[in-house]
Amino acid sequence: MALLELKDITAGYDKNVILKDLDFQVEQGELVSLLGSSGCGKTTTLRLIAGFSTPMSGKFIFNGKDYTQVPLNKRNFGFVFQSYALFPHMTVFDNVAFGLKMRKMPAEQIKKEVMEMLETVDLDGFEKRFPREMSGGQRQRVALARALVIKPDLLLLDEPLSNLDAKLRVKMRVEIRRLQQKFGFTAIYVTHDQEECFAISDKVAIMNHGVIEQMDSPSVIYNHPRTEFIAQFVGFENFLDLKPLDSQGLYQTSDGGRIQIDDGGNKSSTRACIRPEDILIVQEGMPAVNLVTGEVMVSTFLGKRNQYNVRTAIGEFEVSTDQESVYKAGDKVTLSLTPNKIILL
Amino acid sequence: MLEKKTKIYWLFILPGCLFLTFFMLIPLFSLIFKTFMDEGGAFSLGNYFALLESTYFKQVFWRSIRLSLISTAVCAVLGFPTAYYISKYAKNKGMLMALAVFPMFTSPVIRSFSWMVILGKKGIVNDLLVQSGIVAKPISLLYNEFSMVVGFIQLFLPLMILSLIGIMDNISDDLNLAAGSLGASRMEVFRQVILPLSIPGLVTGSVLVFTGCLTAYTTPQLLGGTDTRVLATLIYQQAMSLGDWTQASAVAVVMIVITILVSHVINRISRKLNPTI
Repeated sequence: MALLELKDITAGYDKNVILKDLDFQVEQGELVSLLGSSGCGKTTTLRLIAGFSTPMSGKFIFNGKDYTQVPLNKRNFGFVFQSYALFPHMTVFDNVAFGLKMRKMPAEQIKKEVMEMLETVDLDGFEKRFPREMSGGQRQRVALARALVIKPDLLLLDEPLSNLDAKLRVKMRVEIRRLQQKFGFTAIYVTHDQEECFAISDKVAIMNHGVIEQMDSPSVIYNHPRTEFIAQFVGFENFLDLKPLDSQGLYQTSDGGRIQIDDGGNKSSTRACIRPEDILIVQEGMPAVNLVTGEVMVSTFLGKRNQYNVRTAIGEFEVSTDQESVYKAGDKVTLSLTPNKIILL
Repeated sequence: MLEKKTKIYWLFILPGCLFLTFFMLIPLFSLIFKTFMDEGGAFSLGNYFALLESTYFKQVFWRSIRLSLISTAVCAVLGFPTAYYISKYAKNKGMLMALAVFPMFTSPVIRSFSWMVILGKKGIVNDLLVQSGIVAKPISLLYNEFSMVVGFIQLFLPLMILSLIGIMDNISDDLNLAAGSLGASRMEVFRQVILPLSIPGLVTGSVLVFTGCLTAYTTPQLLGGTDTRVLATLIYQQAMSLGDWTQASAVAVVMIVITILVSHVINRISRKLNPTI
C-alpha cells in the first residue's frame, strides 16, 4: 500500500478551484517530483500535504491514517521553503534545534543531534552564525538540516533551489539526492525545472491545470509521454495526425502517405509526435523509410547542430541535425522520420 | 563630477537649518543654560538641587514616570493582538488601519471632553455601575490618575498599533508555517517567532508612547486634577502661573533627560531579547 495517498482532492481559495479531483500516491522511500508551470497547482498540492491548508473535499491518507484534518504541528513532516524561512533571530544551531526543542528532547541529546546533522550537510563550525551572515547555498543547507533533524516521516521541498545560481543548483540537487538516499526518507519535490526534476526523482508527476497528466519514472516520461501537453513539455516539437491501417504499425498520414511506427503503445491512436533530433534529412544513396518531402523555411545555425523549419504536406517540422551538409531557406529536402522514435499519444 | 555637485546640494538644507537654529536651538539652549546659573550668572546646579529637595517636584516626577509606564504597558498589551490581527488575518486591512488611527484625527481637547462626558458623575459608566447595583452612588472617575491613563491610552494606542503593524507586515508567513511544521503549537509560534521578531516595532511604539505620555499637556490638564500634576502641567504652572521660567526650564531639562534615558534603556532591553536588531 502506498505511504501517502491523496483521494479525490479538490482545493482552492474562495471560488477559485485550483485542484480538481486530484489523485496522487507516493510509496515509502520514493522521491517524487511535482513538475509543472506556475499556476498548475503543484505548490498547492504540496502545501496541502504539509497541512498549511485543508482541501475543500477529498481525503489525505498517510500511513493508513486519515491525515486530512491533522494539524500542521502534529504531522511530523519536514518542509523546505523556497525562501528557506530560517528564523532570522536565531543562530544556525537554534534554527536546526528548533524542532527538537519542540519535541522536548533533552538538551544534551539536542546538541549531539544538531551537531551531527550540521556535519552531514557540511556546516560544522557555522553553528553560532546567524542566517543573514551566510550565503544562499549555506542557508539552503541550514533549511535542509532543520527539516531533516526531526527525522520527518515525509520531506516536502518547495522549489528549494530556485534562489541559487545555476552551478550551485546542480551541486545542491546532488546533495539533496545523496541525503535522501542516505536516510531513505520519502520526499515530494516541487519544481518547474525539468532537468532538475529528472535528475533527482524516482518518479515525476507532471501537472497541468490542477490535474496530474502523467506520473512515471523520468525515463518513461522522457521517452513515452502520454499526452500532447507532456510531449511538448519534454521536447517533442513535431506532431502528426494519423489513421491506423493495420495492427503491424502501419499508419496513414493526413495527405494519404504511409508511415511505419514501431511504438507499441496505443495502436489505435490518431496522434503521434517526434523530436527534432530524430528526424533525418535524406541524402543521396542513404537507405531511409518514412519519407516526407518539403521545403526549408528557416535555417538556423546552433553551433554543433543546424536547425531547420521544414514545411511539408503534412505540416511544418522542426528538424535538428548534426549532418554536415547545410541547407538554405527554399531548398527542397526529403525527411525521414525514424520509425522507432515516433511516439503514439 | 558627482562629488563636485553634492557640494552644492547642502545649500538646499541651509534655510531649514537656519530657521531651526534661530527659532529653536538658540532659544532652547539659552533656556537650558540659564538653569545652570545662579542669580549672579555664575555656574551653579542650584536650580536642580532645589528640584531634588522639593517633595512636591519628586511627587510630580514619579507620578509622570509611573503614569507613562503604565500607559505604555497597557498600550503594548492592547496594541499587540490588535496589530497582529490586522497584519496577519484581517481581510479589510485598510479599513481597520483607518479605524485604528482614527482617534489621531480629532484634537486631544475634543477627546478629553468626550471622556469627561463618559467618565463624569452623570456619565455613561457611572450610570451603568449604579443601575447594575455594583456601586451605591456614582464614584469619581474623573480628574484623577485613572482618567489620565485612560486619556493617554486612547491618545497613543494608534502609535503603538502602527509601529507594530509596520514590523509585523515584514514577518514572512513562511516563518509561522516553518515553526508549525517543526512541531510548534500556535502559542509556541507566537512566543518563539512572532514576539521576538516584533520587538523592533514594540520598541519604536513604546518609545513613542512613553515620550508622548511624558510630554503630553492637554490630556493631563483636562483629565487630571490639581493634585495629579505631571511634569508637563508643572512646567506650565511654573512658567505661566508663577512666572518662574528658570525653574520651568529646569523641569523641562529633566523631562528631556528622562526621555533620552528611557529610550536608551528600552533599546538595550530589546537588544537582549532579539540580538539581530
